[in-house]
Amino acid sequence: MPATTFRIFRYQPDSNEPEPFHQDFDLDHEEKLTLLDAILRIQNEQDGTVAVRYSCRSAICGSCACKANGKTVLACMTQVEQVKAESGEDVVRIDPIGNFTPIKDLVVDMTPFWEKFKAVKPFLIPDGPAPEKERLVPKAAMEKIANESKCILCAACYSECNSLAADPEFVGPAAFAWGYRFAADERDSQRKNRAKLYSGEHGVWDCTRCMFCNERCPKGVDPRDAIEKLGSIAFQEKVTSDKGARHAKAFLISLRSGGKLNEILIAPYTDPIGAPFNAPLALRMAQKGKLPKSPLTHKVKDRDQVKKLIKNVKETI
Amino acid sequence: MPRQFAYYPGCVAEFSSKELNATTKALAPLLDIELLPMPAATCCGAGDVAEAKPNLYLTLNVRILSEAESMGVDILTICNVCTLNLRRANKMVKEDPRVLEAVNEELIKAGARPYQGTIEVTHLLWFLATEEGLSLLEARGPKGLNGLKVAPYYGCQLLRPSSVMGFEDPDRPQSLERLITALGGEVADYDGKTRCCGFPIILAREEVALKESHVALAGARDAGAQVMVTPCPLCHLAMDAYQRKTEQLMGEEYAMPVLHLPQLIGLALGLPTKTMEFKRHLVPVDEVLSTVGA
Repeated sequence: MPATTFRIFRYQPDSNEPEPFHQDFDLDHEEKLTLLDAILRIQNEQDGTVAVRYSCRSAICGSCACKANGKTVLACMTQVEQVKAESGEDVVRIDPIGNFTPIKDLVVDMTPFWEKFKAVKPFLIPDGPAPEKERLVPKAAMEKIANESKCILCAACYSECNSLAADPEFVGPAAFAWGYRFAADERDSQRKNRAKLYSGEHGVWDCTRCMFCNERCPKGVDPRDAIEKLGSIAFQEKVTSDKGARHAKAFLISLRSGGKLNEILIAPYTDPIGAPFNAPLALRMAQKGKLPKSPLTHKVKDRDQVKKLIKNVKETI
Repeated sequence: MPRQFAYYPGCVAEFSSKELNATTKALAPLLDIELLPMPAATCCGAGDVAEAKPNLYLTLNVRILSEAESMGVDILTICNVCTLNLRRANKMVKEDPRVLEAVNEELIKAGARPYQGTIEVTHLLWFLATEEGLSLLEARGPKGLNGLKVAPYYGCQLLRPSSVMGFEDPDRPQSLERLITALGGEVADYDGKTRCCGFPIILAREEVALKESHVALAGARDAGAQVMVTPCPLCHLAMDAYQRKTEQLMGEEYAMPVLHLPQLIGLALGLPTKTMEFKRHLVPVDEVLSTVGA
């Protein structure tokens, strides 16, 4: 029978010990034990004040996300022995999810997460009056949004989003997965308005593509892919004034003109107003030979093929 | 007979960060690798084209894979972003014959060669961090790094998503550590080594990006690193070229030289410093060179 030390993050601001600390609890347990069952056993058998949020115990409600040896997981679907084996550590350290403010032990204040969720209008906005019967949707149309429909709002993605760590106002991966789920629903009437709503200062173009959300999602939602598809919807709806969209446009222009990236173009095209303020850096880079001396584009062989592809290939999102 | 690869350096290594391309080319013969040029290969789109026009992204990347296939060799990359884009496209068409068929239809219409799905894409780091790669390095009798304290910096897209990349545990990668140790360096370990450098949004959201790169730069500094090494030229631009801006924004000093992976190997194998073009770096590497006796 394995024995494990659990090093649990404790924070009880109303207690005699208001500063956060880690407390060790030892458990003898069967080979099979989930992290959530371990926490609940500790709560029942050793310290009733350990606070944790949970409900369904079966990876559906999305309440029990936490960090196990640094990695965000759903406590109810993660085996203790698996955490030890993967991390190579005998002690299992349990922390609250990241990018949130802890309220008590493993319980965090989810308010910003829900505010951002609400802000993307995560519901269907159909056109015209409701029909007498249900609106029928072909299977293929639902398959387009099947992945995103699996999101249980556990915030595992949000917990490790690198853009959020740097910009707490970033809407974040889960909310955008829902945003895409409705923007791409053929019953929804707000595709263009959603593209505008999601393209703001802290919107889709804030995503740094660290891919942590895809890596951490316990349900295979791939939120980064949803953000990418929202970018594509913005392009199709011609909502492309954001600097992030202009950055992508600069790549398309480069490809069309020569096939490779045109570094002379990319900075001023992305940010025509801000680029001049970066002149000191541009100058230092130029002195080191990091900027090309000539604005001529780099031409690949058979670029007529590339031009034809750019002209012919149709987008289907 | 040297191992042949279709060499896909990517736009940044070819233009802004020529020192990476030059060093890789100089290193190849020492590692018994022959790098075959891909004259028709375009930019991979860097995630931006995937965002703007996903079908176009897929078709362009499959066209690159097809060029390598016509040469009969796998692709070798030296950039995280190119590696992810090419591998992702490869996975998409290999996993779904209907997708491959649709892409090939477009390629044929444009006069390009259709793809059969026989090519693999690997990064130089992955090639070298295997038994085969490490024995190639050992065979060169490296003069070593003289205990240089090196902070490995992976960045994101060579690790995640692991369903596409899959070379190693994305949370506990060891490939750079294996190379640093094998070459006689000392590893400076820190949490930020797998976090984002911010480069993909550095032109559109500079402050957010710099705050991201701060995490890794401060982590490497606090771990006592003399130098940081990265397998990605975009990470290099964020960490090296933008370092002073990050210092100004955060009100901190890092003074952290940043090497491209092939430069670190080149130093250990005794490649002439002039060949590795350190003069193109914005953060000087003089102290690194004096530690290893280059």
